[in-house]
Amino acid sequence: MISATLNKHYKTALMEATGHIGDSPLFLLDYMLRILRVIILMSLWQMILANKGSVDGLTLETVLVYTFLAEVFRQQMECRGSGMETAIWDGSIANRFLRPAGVFSQFVAQMFGRWFFEFLFFSIPLLLLSPLFGVSILPSSPVALGLFVMSLALAIAVGLAIELIFGAMVVLTSTVYILYQIRDAVTTLLSGALLPLAFYPWGLGEVFGWLPFASMASAPLRIYTETGDPGHLILLQVIWAAVLWPIAHVLWRINREKLVSHGG
Amino acid sequence: MKNSSLTAVDAQFKHNLDLMNFEPLNKFNHLLRLWRVQGYLDLMWMTQDWKLFLTYYASDLFLNIAAVTGVLFLAERFDGIGVWTKPQVTFMLGYAMLVRGIMETLFGYNIFSISRRLGRGQLDHTLVQPHPVWMALLTEGFMPFSGSASIIPGLLLLLWSGTVLALDPTISWLFLALLNVAASATILLSFSFIWGSLAFWAPRATEEISSSASGLLRTLMPFPLDGLSFAMLSGLMTFLPVGFLAWYPARALLGLESDAWSELLTPTVAAIFSIIAVWIFKQGLKAYGRTGSQRYLSFGHRR
Amino acid sequence: MEEQAHSAISHSDIVVDLSGVCKTFHQKQRSERIRDIFSNLVRPQVRQVDALKDVTLQIHRGEVVAYAGPNGAGKSTTIKILSSLLTPDSGTVRVLGMDPKLERIRYVNRIGVVFGQRTELWWDQPVAATFEWKRVVWNIPRDRFEKSLEFVKEVLGLHDYFNSLARELSLGQRMRADMGLALLHEPEILFLDEPTIGVDVLAKRNMLDFVKELNRTRGVTIVLTSHDMSELEQLAGRMIMVDRGSIAFDGDFATLRRQFTDRRHLYLETDASTAPVLSSAELVRSDGNRHEFTFDAGVIGISEILEQVSAQTQVIDVETHRVSIDDVIADLYKQWNH
Repeated sequence: MISATLNKHYKTALMEATGHIGDSPLFLLDYMLRILRVIILMSLWQMILANKGSVDGLTLETVLVYTFLAEVFRQQMECRGSGMETAIWDGSIANRFLRPAGVFSQFVAQMFGRWFFEFLFFSIPLLLLSPLFGVSILPSSPVALGLFVMSLALAIAVGLAIELIFGAMVVLTSTVYILYQIRDAVTTLLSGALLPLAFYPWGLGEVFGWLPFASMASAPLRIYTETGDPGHLILLQVIWAAVLWPIAHVLWRINREKLVSHGG
Repeated sequence: MKNSSLTAVDAQFKHNLDLMNFEPLNKFNHLLRLWRVQGYLDLMWMTQDWKLFLTYYASDLFLNIAAVTGVLFLAERFDGIGVWTKPQVTFMLGYAMLVRGIMETLFGYNIFSISRRLGRGQLDHTLVQPHPVWMALLTEGFMPFSGSASIIPGLLLLLWSGTVLALDPTISWLFLALLNVAASATILLSFSFIWGSLAFWAPRATEEISSSASGLLRTLMPFPLDGLSFAMLSGLMTFLPVGFLAWYPARALLGLESDAWSELLTPTVAAIFSIIAVWIFKQGLKAYGRTGSQRYLSFGHRR
Repeated sequence: MEEQAHSAISHSDIVVDLSGVCKTFHQKQRSERIRDIFSNLVRPQVRQVDALKDVTLQIHRGEVVAYAGPNGAGKSTTIKILSSLLTPDSGTVRVLGMDPKLERIRYVNRIGVVFGQRTELWWDQPVAATFEWKRVVWNIPRDRFEKSLEFVKEVLGLHDYFNSLARELSLGQRMRADMGLALLHEPEILFLDEPTIGVDVLAKRNMLDFVKELNRTRGVTIVLTSHDMSELEQLAGRMIMVDRGSIAFDGDFATLRRQFTDRRHLYLETDASTAPVLSSAELVRSDGNRHEFTFDAGVIGISEILEQVSAQTQVIDVETHRVSIDDVIADLYKQWNH
């Protein structure tokens, strides 16, 4: 039973993965652009933090590792690629209700499928090439690595709940494009993926650190770079996952009828 | 009766063709008419209901502010970035927001993200219109009302930083500032068209690549680039022209560049980029004539 | 049979002239197996699809031409070439004396195109706003626009929802609005690519009546593709059928029936429950004393059949029907497939 369910979702993930790259090898250009982005971001930090020493416990080396990992696991920390907004937008979400599998789990499978090739062609090569970028990404200990993996998994769980909530919001507000633009902007700003929250002025970083968006990126990155208390950060992630999932579930149920009739 | 009906129809076509013979003045008048009708459609859309109007306006405002907030935070936290003081950084961010705002006001409806129109087979809708393709592309994305949310905050940042920096703008400086803003916007658009035109050959992959390329530019454009290595800077001033979207023209306008002609460098680069973009797009159009589009999606075009 | 509209205008000038038109597409073939992902990307197999092979045809002003064929026969490619969207690999295309691709702007001013699967309406705008947009883009003088608008609103019944948002329209309403939009600039030729797809029977009938009327009163040349053969028969005087990129038939519907098959149904009521045995007619079913046969009228006449029946049993009632045009075409497609 479980294996049949997993098999269904594996097939869905595979369809998404191969469909995504099936057009032409040009998709590799996308990854080259991403590598370029990493190089530029690293250079910018070197410029911004030159001769600054340690700022709030963050040295240049720490920030470089932080940024590097944020780029390696960007997809997981942004938690995008489920195609939910498009499905709601064009009404094809109705088809998903007709398949003998959980609706949301189909989106999750699709998202994992989308991640697969990027992980293979971008994340792993980037990790292997880290010495060329002048960063040492080796974890300080196996425990630190284990905590990071755990925190990353929780980050995905929180991200997925937020994805689901935004999906429900699409139906409530009848807007897709704007809403997802806002989601991206808020995530970029508040998750700490682009800029470590510690660099925010007026104590804002401290405040943002308590929000669920920080659980999506800042938490695992701080755990890996040992600039935050793992116990506190993981507990916060667990709390947010426990709070957001039921909310998402309720919203999803309320909106079910609307979801099917929404869109094209 | 039948013949007279045909004659009337023929006369109508002749009249239409006379109007559409695209002499320079007619071209210009037609462009104005097209912008006007697009402005009208935008207004109609924005005023469908107040909820939509406010949601759209507020969220656009928020998005544009969010795009530069990170760098503003850094400038505040470190009391400037590199050699740039806080007000100078603010000036550059205002400039960047204005460029983005112009793009959103003039090239909405996926004209800026042209890869989507091309990759989704929507160019057909443009090709059945009785005017040159460039005319349609120049006017169909005009959103003066819904796009203005991006322009106003940019202008406010420029105004505030200009006051703090005690800028004393002359007419020629204002002209050069406008020229540079237009040039930066042209570079951004050309860059999007260069990458987006790949959709003529690879419709699906290009939508992602082009979105990544433009996204990269938008992410990096608010950052000051001083202090980067020569190789890095060269790349960011040529293949990935981030430097010309805000950083270099802001330096030139603030007098941080020693070269006397620095204000004209961005417009020159804009001319080069637009020539390349037009050439690639034309090659794509030729290919489109041969292969057409085997894919059609309606999103982002009329809806 | 309803009056066919094609004879309304008998001008002899040729408005569409295709000569030796060929169009080939190349489709990459990809294996579905994971292990082939890299070879799919690096060295995909390419299949050549000959969408049009040496197509030559002429259409006269005022004709209503049905352009039909099985899926993938080349219908849409032809319509796309005729509407200036595609260029042929070889051969010449002249429509209204112009090369559609080279003189696109002048050309599209004189044609109207409706793609059943796509809409030209602005989705989040009232229908009226799209019509206003069309007036400006096509540069239609105000007085002419008002007149055209009144005409299409009246005949297509757009009044009721002219100020509704396009996204709120039913499919039939949307199609009528799209049709009206395509006619605003009073095109000389109208290309309709599956214009009634998904539209209910009443809306379909209204639309077909409108197209007929348009041809009759305004002399608009109409080229129409559809898979609904009875719709095409009702509307068009001439049928062009394409099969695998080549023209397989060009003529009227009566000739089409005669040329390929004149299959008919025969219903016999006799005094026996056992069906008579007939040569050249095939028994379909028997229900009590009622027996249904099919036969090809080109092979055996009805009188000959009745003679055979009378020799075996007593005939109480006789009824014959021609098979529908859809059945004729289905037989034809089947024949081509073999």
